[in-house]
Amino acid sequence: MEKVIMGNHAVSYGAKLARAQVIAAYPITPQTQIVEILSEFCADGLLDAKFIKVESEHSAMAACIGASSAGARAFTATSGHGLALMHEMLHWATGARLPIVMANVNRAMGPGWSIWTEQTDSLSQRDTGWLQFYCESNQEVLDTVIQAFKIAERVLLPVMLVLDAFFLSHTEEPVDIPDQELVDSYLPPYDARYKLDTSDPHAFGALVTPDHYMELRYKIQQAMEEAIEVVRQADREFGGDFGRSYGLVEGYRLEDAEVVLVTSATITSTARVVVDELREEGHKIGLLKVRMFRPFPVEDIREALAGASKVAVIDRNISFGHGGIFAEETKAALYNGAHRPPIFGFVIGLGGRDVTPASIRGIAEYTLEHDVPETEIIWREVKK
Amino acid sequence: MSYAIPDEELLLSGHLACPGCGGSLSMRLALKALGEETLVIIPACCWSIIAGAFPYSSLKVPLMHTAFETGGSVAAGIKAGLEILGDTKTTVLTWAGDGGTFDIGLQALSAAVERNDDFIYACYDNEAYMNTGIQRSSATPWGAWTTTTPVRHPKETPKKDIVAIMAAHRIPYTATATVAYPEDLVRKFQKARGIRGSKFIHILSPCPPGWKTEPAHSIRISRLAVESKVFPLYEVENGEKWKITVWPRREVPVREYLKLQGRFSHLTEEDIEFIQENVDREWERLVARAGR
Amino acid sequence: MPEEIVFKTEADMPPLPMSLGTTLVNKTGSWRYIRPLYMDKTPPCNNKCPAGEDIVGYLALVKEGKYKQAWELIKQENPFPGVCGRVCPHPCESKCNREELGGAIAIHTIERFLADWAASQHLGVSASKQRYDAKVAVIGSGPAGLSCAYHLARRGYPVTVFEALPLAGGMMRVGIPEYRLPRQVLDREIADIEAVGVEIRNGMRLGANLRMSDLDDYDAVFIAVGLQQSRKLSIPGEEAEGIVHGLEFLNRVHRGEEVQVAPRVMVIGGGNTAVDAARTALRLGSKATILYRRSRAEMPAITEEIEEALAEGVEIRYLTTPIEVLTESGRVTGLKCVKMGLGAPDESGRRRPIPIEGSEYTLEANTIIPAIAQELEDGSWKLEDGSWKLEAGDRRPALSLAAGLEVEGGRIVINEAGATTAPAIFAGGDAATPFGTVAHAIGSGKRAALAIDRYLRGEELSGFPPIEEAVHAFPRDTSPIIVRFEDLNLAYFEELERMAQPQMPVEKRVRGFQEVNLGFSEKDAQAEAERCFSCGTCNLCDTCLIFCPDVAIARLMAPPYPVPLACLNGAGYKVNYDYCKGCGVCAEECPRYAISIEEELKWKK
Repeated sequence: MEKVIMGNHAVSYGAKLARAQVIAAYPITPQTQIVEILSEFCADGLLDAKFIKVESEHSAMAACIGASSAGARAFTATSGHGLALMHEMLHWATGARLPIVMANVNRAMGPGWSIWTEQTDSLSQRDTGWLQFYCESNQEVLDTVIQAFKIAERVLLPVMLVLDAFFLSHTEEPVDIPDQELVDSYLPPYDARYKLDTSDPHAFGALVTPDHYMELRYKIQQAMEEAIEVVRQADREFGGDFGRSYGLVEGYRLEDAEVVLVTSATITSTARVVVDELREEGHKIGLLKVRMFRPFPVEDIREALAGASKVAVIDRNISFGHGGIFAEETKAALYNGAHRPPIFGFVIGLGGRDVTPASIRGIAEYTLEHDVPETEIIWREVKK
Repeated sequence: MSYAIPDEELLLSGHLACPGCGGSLSMRLALKALGEETLVIIPACCWSIIAGAFPYSSLKVPLMHTAFETGGSVAAGIKAGLEILGDTKTTVLTWAGDGGTFDIGLQALSAAVERNDDFIYACYDNEAYMNTGIQRSSATPWGAWTTTTPVRHPKETPKKDIVAIMAAHRIPYTATATVAYPEDLVRKFQKARGIRGSKFIHILSPCPPGWKTEPAHSIRISRLAVESKVFPLYEVENGEKWKITVWPRREVPVREYLKLQGRFSHLTEEDIEFIQENVDREWERLVARAGR
Repeated sequence: MPEEIVFKTEADMPPLPMSLGTTLVNKTGSWRYIRPLYMDKTPPCNNKCPAGEDIVGYLALVKEGKYKQAWELIKQENPFPGVCGRVCPHPCESKCNREELGGAIAIHTIERFLADWAASQHLGVSASKQRYDAKVAVIGSGPAGLSCAYHLARRGYPVTVFEALPLAGGMMRVGIPEYRLPRQVLDREIADIEAVGVEIRNGMRLGANLRMSDLDDYDAVFIAVGLQQSRKLSIPGEEAEGIVHGLEFLNRVHRGEEVQVAPRVMVIGGGNTAVDAARTALRLGSKATILYRRSRAEMPAITEEIEEALAEGVEIRYLTTPIEVLTESGRVTGLKCVKMGLGAPDESGRRRPIPIEGSEYTLEANTIIPAIAQELEDGSWKLEDGSWKLEAGDRRPALSLAAGLEVEGGRIVINEAGATTAPAIFAGGDAATPFGTVAHAIGSGKRAALAIDRYLRGEELSGFPPIEEAVHAFPRDTSPIIVRFEDLNLAYFEELERMAQPQMPVEKRVRGFQEVNLGFSEKDAQAEAERCFSCGTCNLCDTCLIFCPDVAIARLMAPPYPVPLACLNGAGYKVNYDYCKGCGVCAEECPRYAISIEEELKWKK
């Protein structure tokens, strides 16, 4: 069924179709529509789930952890400060190996208060062991929610999908909402292997001495590495069942590209247009969309950039004291690889400032004009 | 035999509690009361250690360790998860210390009970952050020594009245209990189990290292707390109906209770009189509410 | 025993920190520096009972309604619960720790209840399956003699008791009036003794129809002849008519003789015989006055007896001594007395009475009953039979007896085994000990029986406790530490008033010889037994088990228990020393001091 819906509602439909069983969420702009429509689904009996109206995001994640530990499929959504407040519990969900799925609406951190889009909130959580997917369209959002549960429940790690505030969350796009039966056949009910069960009692999360802790961490990393293939497969299967797949990364007009723009989320859509324009003008320029940020798809990125002479990474985020995070991670990914082109790290669009085709053209031109970046961080459109 | 307490043991030996720990005995009794269809949530507190290190457990029921402030929120999630999966029988028990209840956990606890989530929240209260080395909490009584309320500057504010706070949420059942009255404690847990909604039980739990007492005296001190009316045993239904469940058999001045504890050894006569006045006044208030 | 879990590689581990075993691998017993142990101790009642009864044991059984077992427990040590439950001065109660919290347990009356109940159920005691050849003779069928015979018979020895009077029982028969001890109670308990194989031959007096040579058939002899001689007043006129000594008086009344004592009787003395004589005289229609030379506080008679006498109308004049019997035509008409004051204590520890100069006065009387003291009868056991020669190493009893027994202070000399200076001759009861009660005599007879048993088997007669302490036929393995009130944990006990047994109303009492004390109903006996603290004696109250924070105390067995609870010797529970951390809560909370603490072995130097 096709509907024109906002990104937030796409999340809700995704969670509904994935048959989330426990939803614990706390309202925060610009996430609120996600939970509003989910609670309507629950109240109308369209979704058989328990909806816990928690009093903070920290409690939302804690409740999801509880529900998932009991063997239920748990889901939540948040944004910005809400995600930051959950930070402690994000670590916990990973260490407890719980397949929780969360949608995060990328929002800038205060002070000053900003409700507009920026990726720093989710990227700040990159060390917590959650898988992260950056979505470009509302369709991708809905599809990724469903895929996320399948992946999470396979690798026993929590999964976060991310959508830009307002550009996706509140922008209506046509979305194909698949049939429940089709989703059910793609995503069977969650059958937890490790759970709280009075007929098979165990203690979970006890004190772990230095004798054992490292191995548990090793196993988490192993799971992350296995996840790469799991994600690929889940996406392939999805493509087979629903006719849509997205990959871990997506290359656009990379074949003979000398300059490659590396983007994520909605900036990708805008960048596609600019790449087409520049190609018209004869520039050998291509685009690499990074969809999966954690685990960082090192092999896919190296392969995609194998022919590039220059790489321009566009970050709508910053790690203070270092630089744009996608740029830093890309540099790190290529460092031990065979091919190490110069990487230009552009920071733009913080606090929801619009990134227009002109902005991207400016980035492309800078890259075309310079052999190497002049500075580690190339700030764009800052009034200075 | 002589105690109306179920026989089955759901706590195993080999746990890591200090000798004479009130918290370990209260868990033992609580689990006897609730039986094996119980699931315990332990936010950070002494019991995070007492329960045993990976890969061992000292409980014969499922146990989930969790972050400090999440006693109320994790319970809500677990309960929702169990129910959506069709299990409405398992009792969900949060077992938290005073820190995780009165202080850092108060928010999540308040939220859970405001929603009237169906679980039992038990706070075994040793009146300070004992697991981290005896620092004061808002459950520390007036005048007590802790490492952050040293003798030259003991705790100047009274113990937070957590039961009143819980009762103010109008939950179906709130009660106090302590280890020297095991049948009273067991009965209260059994009663809680039979009620749907939020139940809060506040257990006074003597701590030999933190209170600077003899391990052998833990029951005696717990009894004196009740007899001297420092820690009356009562229950509140729906925030309205107060009932005293154990009436002190004899008049015991608070001095009797205080003098066994090193954490009060610096108190002057004036201090003790002040404490006595406050205890008397609180007792009268309770009796006025509860009736005889 | 659970195994430690070892992970060789990460592949052996679960993906998350999940328990795979229990903390039972962690033996927290290594933390201890003190350890608790179950150690039953001696309750003051058990310690004080002269008959050596296991009082705490039978009270526990009464509490459970197990009257048959309670009665049997008494009978193991004392064949006369019905008698003692009526006439004993109950030193057990004088030391009972419950005195401080509502009053001592009415042990005495509970004992009586059990005997009466056993009688109503026609219970008996079984004879021994063992039969020895060695024979024992007992001279005297009072409480000491019969107790000795009973214990020996229960061990399998053939015993013959020789009694001079026509009926057995000694002082119990002729010295204690019926209103204190009904005869059928005594008869029944004597019948129990005969039922275990004791032969009683009445009308056999040593030195008369019982000859020395007759005793040669026996391998050991127990002399329990009592103190049959009444001490004279040693005042002028005491040979007059109308003077009858206390025991003689009671004896005659018991035999059913018409004894004219009315209308005015003066009894001289302060012991039970004097009080019994006065109360008996009252019942025969006389006015009775007791004259005692010291004050009420020093009177040796049992307090309840004195109170009952006073209630019945006996008059007691203290601090008064007769100095002359007034007569007319050889018959008593009165007594001249002098008032006494109390000076410094004498050898009995009581203040010495001293006559007050010029305080003489006269009292009217037609019968005077002196009851001041009893003494060993002259000579009956010092006979010689010239046909026997003493040979070296000859241990035959008759010869020993002929050689004479050492006597000191008016009593036969015995050691802690009850043995006299003559081999094969043992003695006990009033003839050899100074205590003067039925219960002490019973204990004394038992002591001799245990000694005779050893003697006949060729064993050493060592290890007996001092004469002042009781012996036990079936001792329990408990610590000799005696439990004091301060040792108990009063948090577990309520103040509950002691029950008094009902008594017949005075007006009815004085008209005849029916029993004055009416005993406890079953309900009251049980209620009284419930008040017992069970000092030092584990009764499986479960307090230690419930309060152990480490679940390190377990019951060894589930009910029903094979032995009476109070005889389990703390073997009802076991401390699991693998896990016990030595917190000491169990010992602190044990209501009855049945748990002790000792230093952990590794810390001992």
